[in-house]
Amino acid sequence: MMALKLLWRSWRGGQLGLVFSALVMAVVVVTSVALLADRVERALVKESSHFLAADAQVRSSREMPTEWQAEAQQRGLETANVALFASMVYSGDYNHLASVKVVEPNYPLRGLLTLSDTPFSTDVAEMQQLDHGPAPGEVWVDSRLLPLLNMSLGDSLEVGEVRLRASRVIVEEPDRGGSFSLFGARVLMNWNDLAASGVIQPGSRVNYRLLLAGEDALLKDYLGWLEPQLAVHDRLLSPDEAQAGLADTLTQGRRFLLLAGSLGVVLAGIALALASRHFAEGQTSTVALLKSWGVSASRVRQLYGQQVLLLGVIGSLLGLLLGWLIHEVLIVLVRELLPVMLPTPGWRPWFTGIATGLLSLLGFALPALWHLPSLSPLAVLRRDVSLHPVGVVKRLLIGVAMVALLLLWYSQNLAMGLAVLCGLALTAATVMGPGWLLLRQLNRLGARVGSVWRLALSNLWRRRIQSLVLLAGFAGAMAILMTLVMIRTTLLEEWRWQLAEDAPNHFLVNVAPYELQGVEKLLADNDLTTVGWYAMVRGRITLIDGETPSEELIDQNEALRRELNLSWTEELPQGNAVEEGLWWPQIEGFAERYGEGVAPLSIEEDLAEEIGVTLGSRLTFSVGGLTFDGVVTSIRSLNWDTMTPNFYILFPEGYLEKFPRIFMTSLYLPPEQKAFVNDLLSQFPTVLVIELDMVIDRIRTMVSQVTHGLELMTLLILGCGVLVMLAAVKLSMSERLQESAVLRTLGSTGKRILAIQSLEFGVLGGLAGLLAASGAELALFLLQQRMFEAPFGLHWELWVVGPLVGALLVASLGVAYTRRSITQPPLQVLSNL
Amino acid sequence: MIEASSINKTVNTSAGSLCILDDINLAVAEGEALAIVGPSGSGKSTLLGILAGLDLPSSGQVKINGEDLTTMDEEGRAAIRARYVGFVFQSFHLLPSLTALENVALPLELRGDRDALVMATEYLQRVGLGERLSHYPRQLSGGEQQRVALARAFASQPKILFADEPTGNLDTATGEAINDLLFQLNAEAGTTLVLVTHEQVLANRCHRRITLQAGCIVDTETAGRVAAG
Repeated sequence: MMALKLLWRSWRGGQLGLVFSALVMAVVVVTSVALLADRVERALVKESSHFLAADAQVRSSREMPTEWQAEAQQRGLETANVALFASMVYSGDYNHLASVKVVEPNYPLRGLLTLSDTPFSTDVAEMQQLDHGPAPGEVWVDSRLLPLLNMSLGDSLEVGEVRLRASRVIVEEPDRGGSFSLFGARVLMNWNDLAASGVIQPGSRVNYRLLLAGEDALLKDYLGWLEPQLAVHDRLLSPDEAQAGLADTLTQGRRFLLLAGSLGVVLAGIALALASRHFAEGQTSTVALLKSWGVSASRVRQLYGQQVLLLGVIGSLLGLLLGWLIHEVLIVLVRELLPVMLPTPGWRPWFTGIATGLLSLLGFALPALWHLPSLSPLAVLRRDVSLHPVGVVKRLLIGVAMVALLLLWYSQNLAMGLAVLCGLALTAATVMGPGWLLLRQLNRLGARVGSVWRLALSNLWRRRIQSLVLLAGFAGAMAILMTLVMIRTTLLEEWRWQLAEDAPNHFLVNVAPYELQGVEKLLADNDLTTVGWYAMVRGRITLIDGETPSEELIDQNEALRRELNLSWTEELPQGNAVEEGLWWPQIEGFAERYGEGVAPLSIEEDLAEEIGVTLGSRLTFSVGGLTFDGVVTSIRSLNWDTMTPNFYILFPEGYLEKFPRIFMTSLYLPPEQKAFVNDLLSQFPTVLVIELDMVIDRIRTMVSQVTHGLELMTLLILGCGVLVMLAAVKLSMSERLQESAVLRTLGSTGKRILAIQSLEFGVLGGLAGLLAASGAELALFLLQQRMFEAPFGLHWELWVVGPLVGALLVASLGVAYTRRSITQPPLQVLSNL
Repeated sequence: MIEASSINKTVNTSAGSLCILDDINLAVAEGEALAIVGPSGSGKSTLLGILAGLDLPSSGQVKINGEDLTTMDEEGRAAIRARYVGFVFQSFHLLPSLTALENVALPLELRGDRDALVMATEYLQRVGLGERLSHYPRQLSGGEQQRVALARAFASQPKILFADEPTGNLDTATGEAINDLLFQLNAEAGTTLVLVTHEQVLANRCHRRITLQAGCIVDTETAGRVAAG
């Protein structure tokens, strides 16, 4: 094939090295990022599937049709039925409203149950991990149930009409997760005992779950079959939805990975565009020659089109291979930190890599070559034949459009894509305008200083277009790198803050007023401090604006089906923000307007939206049979990451105090004081302790894995940026070599030329760093505002480190290249040009 | 073989319209060798470009083998060049990333000749470079590079060969050797030759010589003393 032959010859002649490496670079960066992102994400999803004890879960307040399970099994999926309900359990004269979980023997499908034969033990050696539930006739229970029922392991307890032996205590259940609504101690029993117990009667409030696990494709197909059949009271839970916090972590991680990847492509795109222009210049005489031999324009177009395509395919394939290797290296480097085996990647990263390669060529390389077929054959005879390459503006627009397309594709997020693009465009504008002025000013300044400076600065000004292009390349690359580094640190800081070392890791709930003093004393004796006590009253919303909520609304909203924790406070709690309406002190004439006895209330924004409540809506609450009305006076947003008690509905003081109340708090319990939980529960068995440290540990592990992956990937992008700079320097090098040779012929010493070139590059790099700092600051502003919701502050370090690093980096790269021209005899340099 | 009638070429410059060729009429018969001579800037290369279909006159008509180039589009002229025309240039125009053999074979490969490499080898042997097939242009002397260019031009067996100052970049001795080779190959192939030069010796070896001055033919000499080969 002619095109392949031509391509090979161009490659052999060294004309394609830059184009090819830029292309491969783009694909490598994207592929390695995409592969790692894909696999880490799959690992996280798998890990998070432990929260579901399955890959997906269907939840319903009603018994699910048996064919759902049958169909799933027929399609090769594993299934397990689970039913959750509150039921009184008895042992002798004692009883407790337990949270009963009935499971089929193969529960859990994902993750493991941790059990112990010693109640309240914290000794890992005494724990066993099992992948199945209790045998028929047995139950596994929370340690705290034993003192509550005054029983020991091995004793029997009654669940409805069956007697079951409590054989083990539960230490950890994979899918207990963040559900704080079930207050009773856990009793885990076998599905086969359910019917005999007779506890489920018509009208019983039961939460049914169908656990599903299996290969992604099978599961996806099945869910596609199932979803249209789901009614309003059925809910499908994927791992993403299993934990809101975790889902946020996943989303932020995914965004960061894609952002890093797309910035790498932008860098490689710049290199590709520069290298292609250089290649096109070299091809002018070849095309003129071909055309003089009668090769038609369409054939020339075909030949070059095929070459570009071949280059794209070969480069992309090599990029995929190298990307795979680099991502494997990354994985090996962080293997220690990846306790989970990473699953094999899907097809998407490969497709993303190939498409990036081809699209990059289309957007960055092809415009530079576009004019070649229409070149006049007369160019073989005359050097002054004018070329009509695609205009700079047009090429710029095509490049920008391609960058925008790729950014949008990677991020699937318009705001993020636009923010990065704006940062880039503004950097370019910041370079072209002020860069020109700065160069001119420096040139004038140079005229008044020593000859080395004068020559260096006048070189910059004389080649101002080239200087500006280089400046844009350097500044753009540096701006991207600086933005990336800043985002990485900002993002990680935010994550660290979210999961601070001393973040509360235990919730104490269900503390009765008469127990409060005792619990507080026990806490004080153990030197433990809480985030403060919150009193709460359990009440149910019965009417909205005087009307009973519709059946459908109730079905869709658990908040309307159960009792909510209502609390009161005068101060707006930490992590809360009033989004609409006014906080208590600002409300005027409320009693006159709504009458005495009606309470102002503040509701959480998502709940308000779900149940269709706005400012001024009137809600009727039932608390222990007594009702009262409240009117929505504010809508709050909540930060759920603070690990402190949060309430959907808050009242001011003076309205709820008359109702029976319980207390809750959260506290940080250091691992070495874990035994405190046992002391507390043995003294106050009705207190419920929610051990968030388990959940936090799991999230922290995942965040640490992701963080290390990100750091290494950022290094890859940094390397990519340096390569772009090398490409840019190399492009201007032939002219520089020529000048240096001429100067040497005229008697300049090598040292002096070296000094001139170091200064020239150093000044250029310094300027680039300065301009990059402004571009990065702007991009950061946009990104932080739009994406990471972080407060914006000026990053002074950019303005110091930028110019310094820029000057050093560009000068050292420049010097490394120009040394060649000094060591070679001038004649050889000139004849090689 | 070539007929040019009333050829005019004017270009627009900042100083106004500039006449480069003025009412040129000439015909070149098949197998004839024509030299175009004249001082620098007299329009020699422009005329060569127009006759070869690389450029269009501002007015007038150029026919190659009876086909009017001036009524064709670039694609049409390309087809004519592919069918009839070969070139030798002053600056050789060898592709630096190709070996001598590949340079010669390239036009043959482009037109789909299966035995391009065999033919190219044969022609390189004929110009005395059989031992230097795999050398790159940078490894060859100027004279050797022009030999490669000659091999390339004759390998595609054109009906007409246009040569633009073929010895302009070479020293006298090397230039003479190249001239010998050019005329020898030309005689063997019976190619029509149009040659631009300002070397009298070279012009004298052609059947006919026209002299251009300021874009006009000022002299036509069909000297019997002109010897080919």
